[in-house]
Amino acid sequence: MERPIFKPIGTPVAQLDTPALVVDLTLVEQNIATLHAFFQHREAKVRPHMTHRCPALAHKQLAAGGTVGGISVTTVGEAEVFADHGFANIFVANEVVTPQKIRRLCALARRASIMVAVDNPTNIRDLSEAAGAYSVTLEVVVDIHTRLQRCGVAPGQLAVDLARVVHAAPHLEFAGLMTYEGPILTTGPEALATESRQCIQQVLDTREMVERAGLPVRIVSVGNTSNYEIAGGMAGVTEVPAGAYALLDTRYGSHRPQFTPAARVMTTVTSRPEPGTAIADAGQKAVSIDLGLPVASNLPEAAVTSLSAEHCRLRLEGAADSTLRLGDKLWLTPYDMGTCVNLYDYLHAVRDGCLEAVWRVAARGQYR
Amino acid sequence: MEHYRPAPGTPIHDLDTPCLLIDLDAVEHNFRLIADTYRDTVCKMRTHVKNLKSPVLAHMQIRAGGTVGGVCAAKVAEAEVMVEGGINDVLIANEIVARDKIVRLCSLAKRADMKVGIDNAQNLRELSEVAQAQGVTLGVLIEVDTSMHRAGIRRVEDGVELAKLAATLPGIAFRGLMSHQTVPGRPDKQTRLIEGRRFMQTCLDLKEAIEGAGIPVDIVSTGETWTYDIAADLPGVTEIQGGTYALMSASYGYMDEFDIAAKILGTIISTPRPGVAIGDVGVQALASPGGVLPSVAGMPGVTVEELHDEHIVLRTDGTTPLKVGDQFLLHSGQQDIMVNRWDQYIAIRHGVVEAVWDIPARGCHH
Repeated sequence: MERPIFKPIGTPVAQLDTPALVVDLTLVEQNIATLHAFFQHREAKVRPHMTHRCPALAHKQLAAGGTVGGISVTTVGEAEVFADHGFANIFVANEVVTPQKIRRLCALARRASIMVAVDNPTNIRDLSEAAGAYSVTLEVVVDIHTRLQRCGVAPGQLAVDLARVVHAAPHLEFAGLMTYEGPILTTGPEALATESRQCIQQVLDTREMVERAGLPVRIVSVGNTSNYEIAGGMAGVTEVPAGAYALLDTRYGSHRPQFTPAARVMTTVTSRPEPGTAIADAGQKAVSIDLGLPVASNLPEAAVTSLSAEHCRLRLEGAADSTLRLGDKLWLTPYDMGTCVNLYDYLHAVRDGCLEAVWRVAARGQYR
Repeated sequence: MEHYRPAPGTPIHDLDTPCLLIDLDAVEHNFRLIADTYRDTVCKMRTHVKNLKSPVLAHMQIRAGGTVGGVCAAKVAEAEVMVEGGINDVLIANEIVARDKIVRLCSLAKRADMKVGIDNAQNLRELSEVAQAQGVTLGVLIEVDTSMHRAGIRRVEDGVELAKLAATLPGIAFRGLMSHQTVPGRPDKQTRLIEGRRFMQTCLDLKEAIEGAGIPVDIVSTGETWTYDIAADLPGVTEIQGGTYALMSASYGYMDEFDIAAKILGTIISTPRPGVAIGDVGVQALASPGGVLPSVAGMPGVTVEELHDEHIVLRTDGTTPLKVGDQFLLHSGQQDIMVNRWDQYIAIRHGVVEAVWDIPARGCHH
């Protein structure tokens, strides 16, 4: 468990123990307002995906309007944590296949409305049997693979067949269709629109086929932070499980200028071993580098060159090199916020440079 | 925080996944190998708990033998967990500069023999000030940069100056020197020998210079898993900071006298296309710095294709067919960054759970 020295509310941010994951409340509220406003008067709504694993932040998202009134998670363990924090409408956007996990999911369905994804008829039978034993009804969406070669059945007839199996299963309610096409971050706006529409249209075409087969489709869940306006603007899409927009990171940053990175890791300079070099106390255990290096965001003349397990190494130039001293604070914006927030038990929420709240990252480490 | 406590006696195939397993036969073998290596040597092991993050495992190595009787930690918070867990000799092989942290360090020094790395006179003076105010003595070891260009002094004369200052300051006990070094790729024994000796000689040169100035140097704490055997008979080196050896990782395959003890157990949740299977563990739980991928253990013909946040994409050539619900074991390409993402070790022997141990120093990056 993370063991920071907790400081009183009102403490100036520079006095917090480091490394600390610090959220700027003004910025996160702006990010939430921007995305939720888009969904305010549309058929499609946002179902915030819990990339940040923090219930306090999730409550802010649902309070902002434009949502389906529920959240999206990846694992049963995350669903359990969020149910414990008062969330009553949870979509586990993933396949849940082992007997233990299916039992946990059904137990959860006794106190929350639970929706789950499927791509396999045997799994549908197992879910239905367990739901029957627990006297609950699970909502089920058929997972369709479009762009990412991961879980899901092919769009079209295979998905229709699976929808029929769900519909026929006694303790399941066929709710609709989903795809996770993944963030589309390598292209310009036109190619992004084309590629997103291509993926989503396959799901919408499948929707039509399912409805022609006599099964009503209540939910079509597609899109993410990279393409929410495109997904949310297509007729027939009912919800967009966007997650990254709340805290953002540098991976999405340049592609999504309407949002601002709202969480950063504050780190302390612990060594200035030679001119041009600084060593700080945030290594790979405090800033994930699985997908890319963080950026030093408060000093233009400081560049992160590498992270070892416990240390960050920076190259300094100009004024930064002559003035940066032991004990000085640096700010690192992570490349990927999802893996970074999973390293912390606490988010330090700051407004106007002072600590306003300390929030539990309650679903950290819930891989099961 | 996850709390998963399968009962002892639970067979692996009944475990909820993903979970972090440690194979007790393997970890005990690794601890025994260290005990045997350092039985009759001046040099002893100081196990680095930045890898293990668990007092239970640290105590296992200390009981097995071959150690200095204490551990090495990277952070003050890790040291706190170890002292609370009954370890009473901790070297923080790192510079501690924030005032808050120095106060915590001095507080620990009331209950344990605390030593810390230094590379800066201003920092040393502050350590002295706080130690004096709290009525404790902090041991200090000068960190020497031998090759990594990270923290640590670069020139012998700077080291001698710092040692002289340390020897005179109240609240400070100058204890010696420390260094850390890495070797790229998969070196053979000869390369390890040449590189290891060259790096450690930098420390020994400084030791000689400081002793020449009339200041005794009782500790030279250097080396790591890849130099454990080289340092054992290098006169002047008193301790080795080994971390990876205890649980091992696939990236240290060139040190095959140690067994891989840490494994991730996962389950196939989807078989969307022929030859492709999706597992329930991804980069969040495995860690993949620089894109390093894990490998599948004991399943011929099965390879790792991609890691996503919570999923792994496996490909099978058909030699080992995979179906939904099947379990698989992964050897991580990396170790301590991965352990740091888990709250529990499921300790297994011969395919059955023997114990569940918390990882209390997980997330202790303070």
